[in-house]
Amino acid sequence: MDRYQYAILLVGCLVLTLPLELILGARVWRQPRRLLGAVVPVVLIFGTWDAWSISRGHWTFSERLTTGVTLPFDLPVEEVLFFVAIPICGLLTFGAVRNVLGEKR
Amino acid sequence: MTAAYPAMSIAAAVIVVIVELAWLRTGIFRMRSYWVAMAVVFAFQIPIDGWMTKLSDPIVIYNPDALSGLRFPLDIPTEEFAYAFAMVTLAIMCWERAGPAAESAPSESAPPEPASPEPASPEPGVE
Repeated sequence: MDRYQYAILLVGCLVLTLPLELILGARVWRQPRRLLGAVVPVVLIFGTWDAWSISRGHWTFSERLTTGVTLPFDLPVEEVLFFVAIPICGLLTFGAVRNVLGEKR
Repeated sequence: MTAAYPAMSIAAAVIVVIVELAWLRTGIFRMRSYWVAMAVVFAFQIPIDGWMTKLSDPIVIYNPDALSGLRFPLDIPTEEFAYAFAMVTLAIMCWERAGPAAESAPSESAPPEPASPEPASPEPGVE
């Protein structure tokens, strides 16, 4: 199970932030197209940076704690999941805080 | 040589701020919700990122030459907070930019905020 540790951590983030949508009214998952518009730029920009950093040897990933499934440019599939999951967590936090504070902008 | 990761993380944070102020102008920096949300994000970054970068059994293994050398709190490379700021802020900016109008989903359970004044006659086909 160790090899799924990174993936499980990220899925865990998505599961733990679900109440922000379901209870605190974040309304992020309910706007899938808008969500896509927010996540795609992050995946492209930070994915490029990540691939470059990996190619330059700035960082690597534990072989034991990742699945070993890689995308082009040696990007571990977990890294792409990271660039999807963490922005979603951020958007959910923002949406929930905004709803709780009643701030329209 | 300047360490790459802190240099690029700080640059990314600065660029994101410039893109917001000069181009996207979503106004998030004037929103209380944004700053409160970022405080929450940073608070949760500590345990999660701390787990990923803990030196005893890291998921992400950094080349020391690429780092500033500051690792705080826990074993987190401190520049990672600039990285997180850039990433989450960019997502929120793009979210705001995409705007509620981008989502033209047919009737949702809760009515959205009042749009432009509707004509008095009831809309046909609305369930």
